[in-house]
Amino acid sequence: MKTPSPSSAEAVVAVTGLSRHFGAKAALNDVTVYIPRGSVLGLVGENGAGKTTLIKHLLGMLKAQAGSVRVFGRDPVADPVGVLGRVGYLSERRDLPAWMRVDEFMRYTQAFYPAWDEQYAGQLLEQFQLDPAQKIKTLSQGQQAKIGLLTSLAHRPELLILDEPSSGLDPVVRRDILEAIIRMVAEEGRTVLFSSHLLDEVERVADYVVMLQRGRVVLNGRTDEVRHDHILAVLAFAEPPETAPVLAGAHAVAGYGSEWRVLFGGSHLELETAATLIGARVVEERTPTLDEILVARAGGKGS
Amino acid sequence: MLWEIWGRHKLSFLGQGIALAASVFLVHWKDNGASQSLGDVLGFVAFVCFIGANCHLLVCFGYVEIDAGRVQFGFPGRLLFKPVSTGRLALVPMLFGGATTVTLFAAWAELVLRHLVSFSASDLLWIISVLLSFFWWMQTLAWSLPSFKCKVFLVLIVAVIHFVVWCIPRMPRSVSPGWQWPILTVLLGFTVPASWIGLKLMRQGTWEGPSRISTLWRHLSRPAARTRRKKFGSPFGAQFWLEMHRQGWLLPGICGGMTFLIFPLILKCFQWAGADTFPPEVMPGMLVLPLMLSVLLTPALARFDSFHSANELPVYIAVRPVTNGGFVMAKLAMALTTSALTWLVTVASACFWLALMEKGALFSKAGLVTPYGTVSYTTGCVPALLLLVIWTWKNLVAGIGAGLTGRPWIAGVSVYLRIVFLSGLVMLFDTARSNVIFREALLHWLPAILAACLTVKLAFSIAAFAWGLRRNAITSCAVGWIFGGWLVCGLFLAGCAGHVCNAINKPHLWIWIALAGFLVLPLADLAIAPLALAWNRHR
Repeated sequence: MKTPSPSSAEAVVAVTGLSRHFGAKAALNDVTVYIPRGSVLGLVGENGAGKTTLIKHLLGMLKAQAGSVRVFGRDPVADPVGVLGRVGYLSERRDLPAWMRVDEFMRYTQAFYPAWDEQYAGQLLEQFQLDPAQKIKTLSQGQQAKIGLLTSLAHRPELLILDEPSSGLDPVVRRDILEAIIRMVAEEGRTVLFSSHLLDEVERVADYVVMLQRGRVVLNGRTDEVRHDHILAVLAFAEPPETAPVLAGAHAVAGYGSEWRVLFGGSHLELETAATLIGARVVEERTPTLDEILVARAGGKGS
Repeated sequence: MLWEIWGRHKLSFLGQGIALAASVFLVHWKDNGASQSLGDVLGFVAFVCFIGANCHLLVCFGYVEIDAGRVQFGFPGRLLFKPVSTGRLALVPMLFGGATTVTLFAAWAELVLRHLVSFSASDLLWIISVLLSFFWWMQTLAWSLPSFKCKVFLVLIVAVIHFVVWCIPRMPRSVSPGWQWPILTVLLGFTVPASWIGLKLMRQGTWEGPSRISTLWRHLSRPAARTRRKKFGSPFGAQFWLEMHRQGWLLPGICGGMTFLIFPLILKCFQWAGADTFPPEVMPGMLVLPLMLSVLLTPALARFDSFHSANELPVYIAVRPVTNGGFVMAKLAMALTTSALTWLVTVASACFWLALMEKGALFSKAGLVTPYGTVSYTTGCVPALLLLVIWTWKNLVAGIGAGLTGRPWIAGVSVYLRIVFLSGLVMLFDTARSNVIFREALLHWLPAILAACLTVKLAFSIAAFAWGLRRNAITSCAVGWIFGGWLVCGLFLAGCAGHVCNAINKPHLWIWIALAGFLVLPLADLAIAPLALAWNRHR
């Protein structure tokens, strides 16, 4: 698997050995992530895996306890103006000023970004069908996501960070608008980092995927390579094993009787060899989806 | 519900217990062995604790929650879905909250207030009943009108009504022929059905979505909103606009409302009491009000969004490309504007009522007290007004650093240290008043002490500024503004002091007052504010 590194392209984001503890709990543990310029990186993981914590470090809202965080080669804590002026961010919690009107929030945000594109903002306002005179507190969750997205995009940031952007958006908007925007941003040579629970979305849009599990990076590489480095196979045993078989290289094993389903990390040949060693044969195999990989990695709960 | 109240406020209840114990100690000290002047101070401190503790009780047992998403406060929405009748939902917090509040008030009154003012059992019963009515009205207003914008002013009107009702037994018999209990019964009786109906409407979703008024306003303002899209000139302009919208109108609104609503009533009460002229004691009361309220509003000023439940910086502000010093500067500018507005509305309101009710008697009297005439008198008021604006601003921003850390315990410790420091000062001056040797020694060393304190303050501030500059928390331009502002205000105070000292023929006092002025004006607080905010923003 080819892991992005500073040498693979100019890294817009370079996180090296980042650790963060909240009391006794390790939220991030020795995390290393690089995001090349012009790429789309999908950040996936269970709830509480550390996705938002990692994003907050990139925005300088959390200070690294160990390791280093560099965005555009700068420390976002030491130089928030230099970093944040080039970043667009959509928060997971949609932390918006509920008392403002839509147009007031746009005016307020515009003041901080000299590169604000008024025409583009107006275009997005129309596309999202938002009423400028409406108070933010009266907007639905999806509409709040849209105004958050609009204000994070309108200054055409070099790095767009979207924390759970799909949350609250209906499937049409999610597929036709959000994905189109992410693609367009990437095609313009800008960089996107987005976290999502919807792995089919990540699979369609992201060039790279980073999977976090309990604060650790368990997968990091190009999306297609991550998928093709895994095999979802069905193993058949002549004698049904009494307990789940132990297969070297398997991330998850599930089933009963003589047929067991396995998520294997390795090549076809390695799978055949490992299966033969435990007295089984491969009767079916295919490339797993990211969703299947995440579920299996998250605790071996594959069906 | 009681368990929830306990869980949420247990630390503040502990604080309340400590305040009660301390107040009991203070009033016993006052009664046993303290000098007259020290006794007055101790009594005042105990009285302030009594007022603060009872306001705190009203907040704790009011059963009102803030909904940041809807920018409103009212009955906790999550309880509306519980399988409990609306009557029980309304009555339980009203009865338990009311009973607890008045019981604790009675305990405070017996243990502390009785040592400060004399009152009979019937007086206590009357004030407890008025308090209960006020408490229930607060709950009714908060629960029944969750999204009503002018609720604060309704609360103010209700407070004024209860103040007048509380005064009824003290009014001349011709004005209040024994109406107090029927009036209070009506007030109390109204609250229970009103709360019940309010909660029922809330449960039915009547208050959901925009109100008819806001829909109409939105419809009317839409064309204006399209044309009014004037850009902010700078990030500072945008942040200042946000600060003014969130906090800026609070102090002028409250002071304007109070001087406009309460002082005419007080004047009327004096007229009822038979006073034929304007009582001079009322004027200092009017002047003290903004100064006192500005102290109380300091914690609110440090917050970026009063409806934001967390103490952290709201994300929509934290991610803006602005230095921490930039955010602080917007706050300082807002505090200055709000101070100026506060005095504008207070003076305007006071002048209006005085002119209306006193028929200009005070103004003509004012013109006579100075040999220079009314114009010179009015011109002379300008520096005095500027001094009051600076004092209010100083009150608002003092301790801003502690508030900006976003850690409530630091803000609490800061308030505690300030109280200890001020109490120490009061005791020092009290000792100086009674002990001649100590006073002479103090006067001898005072310039040196003031100069040393000023040196320490300057050294600390310079170190904090340097640290802030090194960490990019503040720009050199912001440092220039803060330091320049401090210097200008200090020189202005020194100029005023010089003028007054010459006028009273005591020019030797000038240097002390000038040094004290520079000491009192906040600089170190403002120097650490960007660093405190950095600690909050980059956790």
